Amino acid sequence: MDDVIIMAILSLLGFAGYVLLCFATKEPRHRLGDLLIAIYGLVLLTTIVSGLFVNWHIYFWWESLVAFSAIYGFAACVFLIYVAKGLRLWLPKEMDYYEMKEGARK
Amino acid sequence: MIGWLHPGLILIFGVLLIPLFRGKWKQAYLLVLPAVALIDVILMFMGFFGDIPYSTWSLPFLGYEFVLGRVDKLSLIFGLLFTLAALTLVIYAIHVKSDSEHMSELSYVGGALGVVFAGDLFALYIFWEIMAIASTLVVWHGRTDKARRAGFRYILWHIFGGIILLAGIVMYVHSTGSSAFNALSWGAGIASLPSYLIFIGFIINAAVPPLHAWLPDAYPESTVAGTVYLSIFTTKTAVYVLARGFVGFEPLILIGALMTAYPIFYAVLENDLRKVLCYSLINQVGFMLCGIGIGTALAVNGAVSHAFANVFFEGLLFLCVGSVLYRTGTCKCTELGGLYKAMPLTCAFCFVGAASISAFPLFSGFVTKSMIISAAAYGHMGFIWVILMLASAGVFHHAGIKVPFFTFFGEDLGFKVRDPPINMVLAMGIAAILSITIGVYPHSLYQFLPYPVDFVPYTIPHVIGQLQLLLFASFAFFVLITSGLYPPEQNKINLDSDWPLRMIGAKFMWFVKGPLMALGANLDQGLRRIASFFKGYGGELEERMLVGVSVLIALIFLAVYLLVELIYRWIMS
Repeated sequence: MDDVIIMAILSLLGFAGYVLLCFATKEPRHRLGDLLIAIYGLVLLTTIVSGLFVNWHIYFWWESLVAFSAIYGFAACVFLIYVAKGLRLWLPKEMDYYEMKEGARK
Repeated sequence: MIGWLHPGLILIFGVLLIPLFRGKWKQAYLLVLPAVALIDVILMFMGFFGDIPYSTWSLPFLGYEFVLGRVDKLSLIFGLLFTLAALTLVIYAIHVKSDSEHMSELSYVGGALGVVFAGDLFALYIFWEIMAIASTLVVWHGRTDKARRAGFRYILWHIFGGIILLAGIVMYVHSTGSSAFNALSWGAGIASLPSYLIFIGFIINAAVPPLHAWLPDAYPESTVAGTVYLSIFTTKTAVYVLARGFVGFEPLILIGALMTAYPIFYAVLENDLRKVLCYSLINQVGFMLCGIGIGTALAVNGAVSHAFANVFFEGLLFLCVGSVLYRTGTCKCTELGGLYKAMPLTCAFCFVGAASISAFPLFSGFVTKSMIISAAAYGHMGFIWVILMLASAGVFHHAGIKVPFFTFFGEDLGFKVRDPPINMVLAMGIAAILSITIGVYPHSLYQFLPYPVDFVPYTIPHVIGQLQLLLFASFAFFVLITSGLYPPEQNKINLDSDWPLRMIGAKFMWFVKGPLMALGANLDQGLRRIASFFKGYGGELEERMLVGVSVLIALIFLAVYLLVELIYRWIMS
């Protein structure tokens, strides 16, 4: 039963952190922006710290690295955005790209 | 007592009566149709028509068996899913006045149900094509020039897929002597060609890259509700037929994994939120195909349950974006922002959908997607696991953060709008409640799955690992957006794998409109000149003789033709 409560609290914290992030980064800034970011940071820290006390089920060697999921999540997202930035060099075209190729006039 | 009722035919024939009703009665009838189909499926679950599994409504057809009603655990869960989704969507779209829109949408659902309950390949093919035609009509109901053009491209893809499927079916039936639709056999060599053709027909509907371009091309061009319908039925039907015919087909593991990764890059680039969700849909179907390819009981359960949960959480995101489009008239990142105060309910529902699709603990994606990823881990598929985890972080980035952030937060553009009408809120509420229920109490879904489930998603390491993955992915977004490194949204289209085909099409159209028309005009002018030259000789004669001469020429031509034909036959005989 204790496990259930721990998991529920952690999950709710995580969800709250995620929602706070959206409020904290909007423009114009939220008047409590700094506080929201501080709470968000605390949630991040909680997931890392609680991860140190856990007996991980390991299927691959890399999962035994400290805070592997966190590092992987961060790296994956940065990788994703930078690859997308690279693709932006040649994938985007004007909205009427195909119509122009058919010989339509602007 | 009634033998059995086909839920798909209830819808397909039921829609014919829609134009007979007016006002409130029409709305009531629209609700009754999917409700009756849903009750029908629930009765099947309860064994009202007989003990599961059974086959019914078999008709003799050219020496084969034409089976419309194959009821087992796999077809039942998809039947439940489709009727429940149809009821939710009818509620969402109940205010829509267009009869033809409701008719094409519900017959589209009917086609999908027909495929699900089809026990033989011919019945499957017929409903498959009903679905293709009805969904094209749904696209065309966007009633814009873009929708018309996208609809034509869409139907070309599906005709192509349908023909390959039919070729596969005919060859398969010819070689095996049976048209029953069960697990197909595959292997090396020409003997397996029919199975592979059927497979290609299936994966075109599943939108497997590079055969996926029709999906983000056509789906966002439909109406507010039409897009949500489209997002559900074609791809999930494809998942069903693959789960029926190709369980454990190993290439599906890699196909599925690549399918999860490919669209996430496009989703980052895309400005139109409905297109972002379309790419996210392809990514989600990738998880399902991967599970089907792994083929263990856990993986197939994962694929089926993920299909079930996905319809509601992905559908919920489409419903939210649709509501925003309904109120503001746009669903582009560059034209939206700051809506959380104006549309608080929609915003809250969007968070539920976003958290579910990202697989946050307590939401449905967590308990369904984990089954597939765990199945990959149990099978020691390291490479696949790494890709699936990358894709999970990617989903969280584009569907979890990008969709709610740029719509409801981002830069406040000062929209003066409200939440959508009560029926749309209600539909979003149903989808949200289902997403949370499955997440908090997985057994509510697990009991309906095709295989017994002993999977426990909620363990402390799993919850913490998942939270770390997601929250640090969000941290990457936070770092990039606050430092200005995040690529700004652009109002552009992004070239996709259909570029070569569309270029050929565009060049052909250019050729027809340009050089060919010019040539035609020149020829025409030349002939006129020749005619006017002869006119100088003929004078009045031309006018008097015109009809008679034409008839004479035609008669001579026919006589010559007849003569040639007769001589030909005489020689050949």
